Amino acid sequence: MIRFDNVTKIYKGETSAVDGVTLNIEKGEFVFLVGPSGSGKSTMLRLMTCEEKVTAGDIHVAGKDLSKLNSWRVPYLRRNIGSVFQDFKLLPNKTVYQNVAFALEVIGRPENVIRTQVPAILELVGLEDKHRRFPDELSGGEQQRVSIARAFVNRPLILLADEPTGNLDPDTSEELTSLLDRINRTGTTVVMATHDRTIVDRMRRRVIALRHGELVRDEQRGAYGSETDSPETLGIHPVDGASP
Amino acid sequence: MSRIRYFARETWTNIRRNLTLTFAAILTVAVGVMLVGMGLMAGYASGNALDRWEGGVQFEVFLNPQIDPSQIDALGIELQTHPEIDRIEFFSAEEAYALVSQQMADQPELLAQVSPEALPASYRVVPRSVEAELIESLAAQFRQRPGVMSVQTGREEVDAIRTWFTSFQGIVLLLSIVLSGASVMLIFNSIRVAMFARRREIEVMKLVGATNSFIRFPFMLEGMLHGLAGGIIGAIAAGALRGHVEGLFSRSDVLAFFRSFVVTSSQFTTVVFVTVIAGVLVGMIGSAFAASRFLDV
Repeated sequence: MIRFDNVTKIYKGETSAVDGVTLNIEKGEFVFLVGPSGSGKSTMLRLMTCEEKVTAGDIHVAGKDLSKLNSWRVPYLRRNIGSVFQDFKLLPNKTVYQNVAFALEVIGRPENVIRTQVPAILELVGLEDKHRRFPDELSGGEQQRVSIARAFVNRPLILLADEPTGNLDPDTSEELTSLLDRINRTGTTVVMATHDRTIVDRMRRRVIALRHGELVRDEQRGAYGSETDSPETLGIHPVDGASP
Repeated sequence: MSRIRYFARETWTNIRRNLTLTFAAILTVAVGVMLVGMGLMAGYASGNALDRWEGGVQFEVFLNPQIDPSQIDALGIELQTHPEIDRIEFFSAEEAYALVSQQMADQPELLAQVSPEALPASYRVVPRSVEAELIESLAAQFRQRPGVMSVQTGREEVDAIRTWFTSFQGIVLLLSIVLSGASVMLIFNSIRVAMFARRREIEVMKLVGATNSFIRFPFMLEGMLHGLAGGIIGAIAAGALRGHVEGLFSRSDVLAFFRSFVVTSSQFTTVVFVTVIAGVLVGMIGSAFAASRFLDV
């Protein structure tokens, strides 16, 4: 579903954000992307959605070679990828329902599809009673569930989550991860970049660890920082920005 | 259907959010395209008025409406065989009436007072030389012939008027180019502000895979509507200007000379068409420029 072949990304005038990464993620996998801030997790996700172009190497996502993808085809690629962010990116002047419906509206889905899909997805994330609320009337966890609903309403093949629990308390984080887990069980490939040690350790899913843009660990049933890590990786702290 | 509603809603929200800049853009477009219309009308008016002086015609011999047909022929032969005259063209009363009725198509009550019989037939004369003295002496000779009502010369005046109108058109054209440039920049900026106000929506649209053209369309539509509104206001202003100037010419004795400076209604239709299209074009250029500048993948 997602394949990186010796991928390197260098931002202008900086050292490599991603350095020679090769990996393969199969359909239906649930993958944690871990590593300290600046280790290249977000860049990896941005490369998958074509928000950034690789400096060297090849990426295949959902059967498409991204380096050969015309820019006008990028939107169609993104319709196969749902994205969730730490800051939710909800539209404050739209209700919960409108926020989710917007995602279908702007890719030209007909109204009858919107009217059936949106309530169904709101039920899945447990927000069917709050569809008339505005984002600022919801808790952080609820807002993130709206953003997951928006990412998943078009039933994408892949769901990318960039620190989705970064702004949430531990209990809410647990709830959210189990929601992502449920989505994963429908066959959707989930890639979640995170700093949340508890979640990674509890879920026991595939863990890909990055440091300075390099892939340092790839385990099928891994933990946040396992015995195979180098001492520096073990020393990282789960809070953003606290690592050296 | 949902798509049309979406575009209508988004465009309307943009326009409402941004009223002052929208107004500035529309008014600049209006003034700019009004000047385009004005230049065009000046060209038409001078063309219509100076029509008879085309092709080297230096003077025109108007015949008495009651003239005998044999006299017309005699005069024609005399003009044609005159050593100083190159060629002549006969312009019958009916042709004169046709021209007048075309020019007065908008003022039927005025036209009703003109009968074909009252209009003089004429010979338009092209002499061999354009020397003013020669033309004056020729004109004087024929002024005395039986059946001749009057002889009009006016080459120098006509040239002066034509020069004046040409430079007037040049100035108007220059101003309209400057204002159109300003309009493009204003629309560019108002679209940019609209995009900035909606940057979150745009970000989300890109995220969920809306195509670039889908994202751009409401903004392009907005720019086009600015241009269209400006174009329509400009066309109305040009129409008012036309009415005002023609009224001024027909009332004032001092400006009586300019009475033949009219724009026919078919020409005015062209003017309206051109001004509105110019407005829409300006809007499209401004918004396309902004959309391509600020909406990359």
